[in-house]
This record gives sequence, structure tokens and C-alpha cells, in this order.
Amino acid sequence: MESSTDPIPPMKYYGPTDAFGFGQIAEIWQNRELLYSFFLRDLLIRYRQVLVGVMWVLLQPLMGMFIFMGLFFVLGTKAGSSGIAYAPIVLTGMLCWQLVSSSFRDATGSLVNYRHVVTKIYFPRMLLPLASLLCAVFDLAIGSLLLLPICWITGTAIYWSTIWLAVPIMLWLVLFCAGCIAWLSALNAHYRDVGYALPFILQLGMFVSPVVYDTQRVATLLTERWLWLYEANPIATCIGLLRWALLGTTAPSVPGMVAAALATIAICISGLAWFQHADQQLADRI
Amino acid sequence: MSHDSIHLVNVSKRFRLGASNEYGRLTEAIATGVRRWFYPSPKTTDLATRDSFSQRIEDGWFWALQDIEFSVPAGDIVGIVGRNGAGKSTLLKILSRIVTPTQGRVGVRGRVGSLLEVGTGFHPELTGRENVFLNGAILGMPRYEIKRRFDEIVAFAEVESFLDTPVKRYSSGMAVRLAFAVAAHLEPDVLIIDEVLSVGDQAFQRKCMGKASQLGDQGRTILIVSHNLAAVANLCRRAILLQDGKLVADGSPDKIIDRYLSDMRSGDGQRQWPDDDTAPASKEARLLAVSVYGNGQTEPVGEVDIDEDIVVAIEYRVLTEDATLCVQIQIKDETGAYVFWSANAPSMNHAPDPWYGRPYPVGTYRSECRIPANFLNDTRYFISVSIGSEVGNASLKQEAALSFLVHDTGAMRQEYTGSWIGPVIRPRLDWRTTKNA
Repeated sequence: MESSTDPIPPMKYYGPTDAFGFGQIAEIWQNRELLYSFFLRDLLIRYRQVLVGVMWVLLQPLMGMFIFMGLFFVLGTKAGSSGIAYAPIVLTGMLCWQLVSSSFRDATGSLVNYRHVVTKIYFPRMLLPLASLLCAVFDLAIGSLLLLPICWITGTAIYWSTIWLAVPIMLWLVLFCAGCIAWLSALNAHYRDVGYALPFILQLGMFVSPVVYDTQRVATLLTERWLWLYEANPIATCIGLLRWALLGTTAPSVPGMVAAALATIAICISGLAWFQHADQQLADRI
Repeated sequence: MSHDSIHLVNVSKRFRLGASNEYGRLTEAIATGVRRWFYPSPKTTDLATRDSFSQRIEDGWFWALQDIEFSVPAGDIVGIVGRNGAGKSTLLKILSRIVTPTQGRVGVRGRVGSLLEVGTGFHPELTGRENVFLNGAILGMPRYEIKRRFDEIVAFAEVESFLDTPVKRYSSGMAVRLAFAVAAHLEPDVLIIDEVLSVGDQAFQRKCMGKASQLGDQGRTILIVSHNLAAVANLCRRAILLQDGKLVADGSPDKIIDRYLSDMRSGDGQRQWPDDDTAPASKEARLLAVSVYGNGQTEPVGEVDIDEDIVVAIEYRVLTEDATLCVQIQIKDETGAYVFWSANAPSMNHAPDPWYGRPYPVGTYRSECRIPANFLNDTRYFISVSIGSEVGNASLKQEAALSFLVHDTGAMRQEYTGSWIGPVIRPRLDWRTTKNA
């Protein structure tokens, strides 16, 4: 049905290259439909043969919340010092942390688990870890619906005037995760050690980020001089910012936010460069 | 259609050989590639082959392809032939962008669809319908196009009633049909096919061939790797012969296939592995030689008469004291059809092999297997050898160690002189007719 009068597509050449380019991003955009297909696939598969289905998205942060509420109740210590009920504090932390941990976990294995396809068909490889990230974002979006009832039950006031800021703050965290998973997924394809080390890294990450406690606790410990170093961790800053926007806690310090922003940019650019480099030997080495 | 659709400039690809930080799959793949390298080749050219092989290895790197340069005009159907390990699959992977070449540039015009393995991209948990969309997307088809062609795809694959069943409950035939249907309907500008035409039943294979030539008529460029030489001859308008990672011939399919076959045929009935490092080996044993003899002859021969016994001799060195070993052979014909498998186990033997089940002291051994006269057909057969600790175990395996040709002497052609092409064996059997009372 195509006739020879159709415009002849241009000859596209490719070969070994080490020049860094943003071509990857353009290619991801051109293949957004495939990204959506991968995302849909991941989502569908996750809840096949699962009894309560999508309820897990709500149950996971809730269970996390109850576990830490119970833990701090038993220990008799207060995790927060801001005078706000602990439940919404830990829930915001849990939601953010779930984005980080589940995207890291799923994305790290994404290339390796799909190697039978990666070694047989070409498509921008970055789509696989990104699809895992999209799934985690989907979970976050559903899970954040829990915040309203939890705040209402605990009688916590929500700062409606700044609530819209939650979206750009979460986008920041998503961007940081994207940079990290570019590193992790391609590294894991070359060195499976990453997959083994990841649980420990995540465990550590959960405690160095204010997931189950309040940044104020760290602030008093570290003094202002060193706080920026703690907040250079974009996860810490994003959680702090989210609590500030939703619940009105103290915002992270300005030097801390600057450090976190720089860290995010560094991770994203180096992640892209590394992924492009690793991609060229991917099918040989995976 | 005067413009080129594919253009390769000096393309080379090398792999790392057995480096310590490599993962199992690759090292295995290369190890088998290396072992397959000594695919049936005569003793005289064996040295030559080894030379070219050592040329391909340098400092732990292995050149899978060297300086490949050709272009394909749009609308051409090109077959790529060559022995195992000649670099065919690597070439297709480079063309489909899965593997980045070490040197050179690859130019492709338009959308590329590659079918290097049918059903890649199918997820067992998803239904047929969901998989069509996912697989189509992976192959680069926009969603609206998949929707438009959905019914056509399903009809081609003949899986209408299983659309909402997870693919894990499909028979392998159904999955293959669906996968080919998706790929064939994706209308790429360049379609790359590796061996997939050899799957499915005869009727479906014919359907696939028909679809492929139809795509060719529409001006789409097709590249095919197949061991099914008949398919290459029928479908392709041009063929390329790869040897030792180099392009050695390019021309009409008939000419190329003739040359390829004559290269394959020049066997003299023996294959030796003089180099301990590259000989196929396991912990227990190392292969020394595989030879074929005619009945009562002492010199190995590459061609055997149909009416004489054929003796396959396997010589090997036992490396572990008191190892128990079982020697096994597999015979396949030229089309890859599996003819038979046999081992020196007592129940598969006319008279027990005295060494079977006994511990072997270190030393060299020779196991012989006698294939009866008037049993094989007049065609070429390939012998694969394996030696393991017990029947069915193949810790040492050499695929297609040697080939031999069976000659039709006319011994079974007193009454029938027509064609005997087709059946993989031509046994002389017991026939007896009685008249019922």
C-alpha cells in the first residue's frame, strides 16, 4: 500500500561512540508509547494472582506507619519534636521512602530480568528502569490519598495554601531517583553485586533519611554548621520540604537545599553518561 | 528503488574471551562458539582453519566479525549463510542495534523490525491480547497501528479463542504463531529474521515464507539467517557467505549455497584435536579424535557406501583416575533433523561393552560404534559426540564433530530408481506377505 512516492527515510548511522549527548532523552521521548506499555505491563503483572490487588499500594505505607508508631510507643521515645502528631509525619516519610526503595529495587533488576529481550530486540534500554520508576510514582499517587484521612483522624491541620508545592517537591525526588536508577540498573547488568548490596544500602538510606523521625531531631544533634551536609541527601531534603508544605514543619535550610539540588544534578548527568557508556556493551555483558 | 536501505562500513566486532569478571552466559556462549569453531573440516585445512582462528584471537579478544562491508538496496531479500560461529548472528545483532560494533558504522534507513527469536517480549503472565500490544510496542509499532491491525494479526496466528488467556497457558506452537504474526504485520522498512522460519509446523512455515516474500514484494528489505538452505534459495534474491567472521562471497543464492555446501563437504572422515587447550574436554576426559571408517577399512573415509557398515571411532584421553564414563553419539542430517542418539550402555548394545560401568584408569581409549549397512539414506550426516559420567550426561560435548556422506551404490535400487530424497533414513527391513486363508 505504500508507494515509492513516500518520502525516503534518511539513512541513520550508528557505531561506537563515547561522546556524551542528550540524544538518549530525545529517544526516550520518541518511544514514550513503549514506556507506557512497559509501565502498564509492570503494573498488570504486579497484581496478577494477588488477592487484594491494588489494596497493597495502600496497605504497605499504612503497615509501615503502624510498625513505627508501635515501635516508638514501646520504646517510649518521641520521634518528632515539632508538636505534630507522629502518624502524618511517619506517613509522609513512608510514602517518599516507598518511592525511593521500590523504584530502586525494581529498577536495579529491570535490565537483568528482561535480558532475554534486551539481547534480542533493540529499544532504548533506559525505558525499563524508567517503567519501574513510573510504577513507584503510581504507588505514591495512590498512597498519598491516605494522608487526608490520617490527618483528619489525628486532628492534624493541613496547610492548604502550600499543598500544591507537594507536586514539584515530589518531581524533584522522582528526578533524583531517575538519576540513581540509571546508575543502579546499568551497574547491576555488569556487576550483579549491586543487587546483593542494595538491601543494605536501602536499609542504611532509610535511617540516614528522616523517614521515621523528624528532621528537627537531627538538627539539634548536628548543629547548624553540619546540617547542610545531612540535607545534601536529596531524599532528606525532599521529605523535609514535603512535611513543610503539608504539615507546616520547619523547612530545610537554604544551604542544605542548594547542596541537595547540586547533588541531584550531579547524579542525573553522571547517571545518563554512565548509562550511555554501559549501554554499548550491555548485550555482550548482561 | 535505487536507494540503499542498509549500508555497513568496515564493521568489526570483538568479544572478550573468558575474562574473570564476565558473567556465565557470555563466557559459556563464547566457549561454545570456540568449540564449534572446529566444525567439520578436513585435516589438511584444519591447520588453515586453526590459523585463521588464531588470527581471530588476540590478547584474550575474539574477533567475531572483521571488516564487513556491504550495502543492500531497498526491497532486496538477502540470505546470510555460513557455518556455526562464522558470525551470522552477530551480524544480525549489529544490524538490529542490539550489539554495538567495536569498529565501523552501520547505516539503516527507516524502521527496523528484528525477529532474532520468536516470542521475545512475550510475558507469560499477560494475556494474548495484552502481549500483542506489548510485543508490537517493543517491535516499534505505534499503538494505533496495532489496534488497526489487531484482527489481522490474530487471524494470521489462529489464536482467536485464546486471546484472553495468559500466554503461559499457550502451547509453544500458539505462542510462536502469535509472535510471528505480530512481527510480520509490523511493516518495518527492514526486517531481520534469524532462524525463526524453522519453527512451527509445515503449514505455518509455508505461511510464514509466503508472508515474508509478500513483504519483499512490497519493497521491504529482508535479511534472513537460516540453516534451511531450501528456504534461502526460494526466498532470497541474493546471498552472502560468511566465513571466519569475514564476508567471503556475495551473489546469487544458488551460487553461494553451492559454494557453502562444497566447503562443508570436503571432509576426509577424521577430525583431530592436537591442541590440548582447545580440545573439547571435561574434568574426566578430553577428546582426541573422531573418525569414520568403512567396513573393515583402516583409513578413515569421508564417504561411505550405503551397503556397508559404518564405524564411528571416538578417541579420548581419560584425565581423572578411575572415572566412570559413557560415550554417546548423536546423528543429525544436513537439515538439522535428529536421526538418532546412541550410547555404549549394555541395553543399547548388541553385546555389552567390556569397559562400560568400569572405572577407567588414566590413559587413552578408543570407543567404536557400528552403524549397520543399509540403514542411513544417501545424504550427509553430522556426528555429535558427548562423554559423560553416565548415560544421558554430557559433561564433554562436541556438536557436529564430523560429517560423512553416504553414497547410494544402487544396492537398494534394483526395483525403484526414483527419488529417495526426504526421509532421513533408508533402512532395509523385513517384509513378508502371507495370504489369509
